[in-house]
Amino acid sequence: MIDIVFLVISVVTIFSSLMVVRAKKLVHSAIYLAGALIGTAGLFILLKAEFIAWVQVLVYVGAVVTLILFTIMLTRKGEEE
Amino acid sequence: MIANAYELIVYILTLLGVYEPVLNIFQLLGIEYVLKIIIVLVEIGILFVFVLLTVMFLTWMERKVVAMVQARYGPMVTGPRGLLQPVMDGIKLIGKEDIVPAKADRWVFTLAPFIVFIPALLVFIPLPFGQSLIISDLRVGLLYIIAISAVSPIAILLAGWASNNKYSLMGAMRAVAQDISYTIPLALAAIAVVMFTGSLSTVDIVNAQNGTWFGVIPRWFIFLQPLGFILFLIASIAEMGRIPFDFQESESELVAGFFTEYSGMKFAMFFLAEYAHLFSVSGIIVMLFLGGWALPILPFVPAALVQLVSLGVFLVKTYAVIFFAMWLRDTVPRVRIDQLLNIGWKIMIPLALLNLLVTGFLITAGVF
Repeated sequence: MIDIVFLVISVVTIFSSLMVVRAKKLVHSAIYLAGALIGTAGLFILLKAEFIAWVQVLVYVGAVVTLILFTIMLTRKGEEE
Repeated sequence: MIANAYELIVYILTLLGVYEPVLNIFQLLGIEYVLKIIIVLVEIGILFVFVLLTVMFLTWMERKVVAMVQARYGPMVTGPRGLLQPVMDGIKLIGKEDIVPAKADRWVFTLAPFIVFIPALLVFIPLPFGQSLIISDLRVGLLYIIAISAVSPIAILLAGWASNNKYSLMGAMRAVAQDISYTIPLALAAIAVVMFTGSLSTVDIVNAQNGTWFGVIPRWFIFLQPLGFILFLIASIAEMGRIPFDFQESESELVAGFFTEYSGMKFAMFFLAEYAHLFSVSGIIVMLFLGGWALPILPFVPAALVQLVSLGVFLVKTYAVIFFAMWLRDTVPRVRIDQLLNIGWKIMIPLALLNLLVTGFLITAGVF
């Protein structure tokens, strides 16, 4: 049971990580980055490290991805195409 | 002792004599975990229906409170005292055309309402509705709540950006600037409570508030942390984006803020998330500062009724906080954006740090 969950989370994380570099638009990359980081948090939960998992969500998804998105939106549009 | 809603469901099923035969069937097939998953799904289903009904009731209540303050009747036509008005609104929204602007980023535009809705639901998981009415007592429940609420600004930014509309983008920018600056005093005020309990678990926080001082004053943290309570209340109203801090959708400046371009069901998702957020944040205020389901008379309630009474106590307290938020919305005008950021960074964060410092000193000195 736990192996299946691990496999699903791993596949999602690896797919998101690949899409971070492959996506055409910067905003899409940022969303995939959030997906990859949430996947990592899921792996921490599987390891019963709840505290690290939620700190991961708080710091990386809540703060880092928000800042990245903020930066992308404040800079000029059109260069990303 | 029943610890959470899962065990409560099992307990009720056992009382009805259903649980063991069903468990035996599943054990014969060697798939007990399927039964567990089914019970958890039932739990989530109940929570989902509860949240939907609450949101419907809250939209009605908001209109009625606004009407009361402005000396009007509010919705009166559909159903007794307009109670069926939310149902009509829902039908209307489902019937609306789902418009995606031509220049919008279709994929992100569709995704954003869902990303905004999921955290609004997830926050309910460690919220104690009653003595055992909690989906899961996480060891880091409070951290979980703060972490999950930190995800929703992303969805707002995405919605504002994907709409490809300057009002949407400005609304999203303001919303996120506000969210980032008010999360800090919010978390700092919550930490002061955690210093008393020594635990991040929501159940432990409520249990610490069970009982009285001198047999009269309930042991709620609002009496130990009056400043913390006020800071948390203001910061959470700002986090919810309600008047006086509703910059994300200030109608007179930004049309409707980040959801200007949304229509139909997607608009309904934002609406749903907003009111679910209102309920969950009020619940969190009640849990942290107003004693959660704890009430001094609870030990005298017959054991069979404890669950129901504690649920009732929690709901009454939560609706009192919600009523306060609605009342505030109808009474005070909106602050300016520079005032908003000044209040956040120059007043609330220093006060929250001071509160933390004083609390720390008093605990170390052994006053509490």
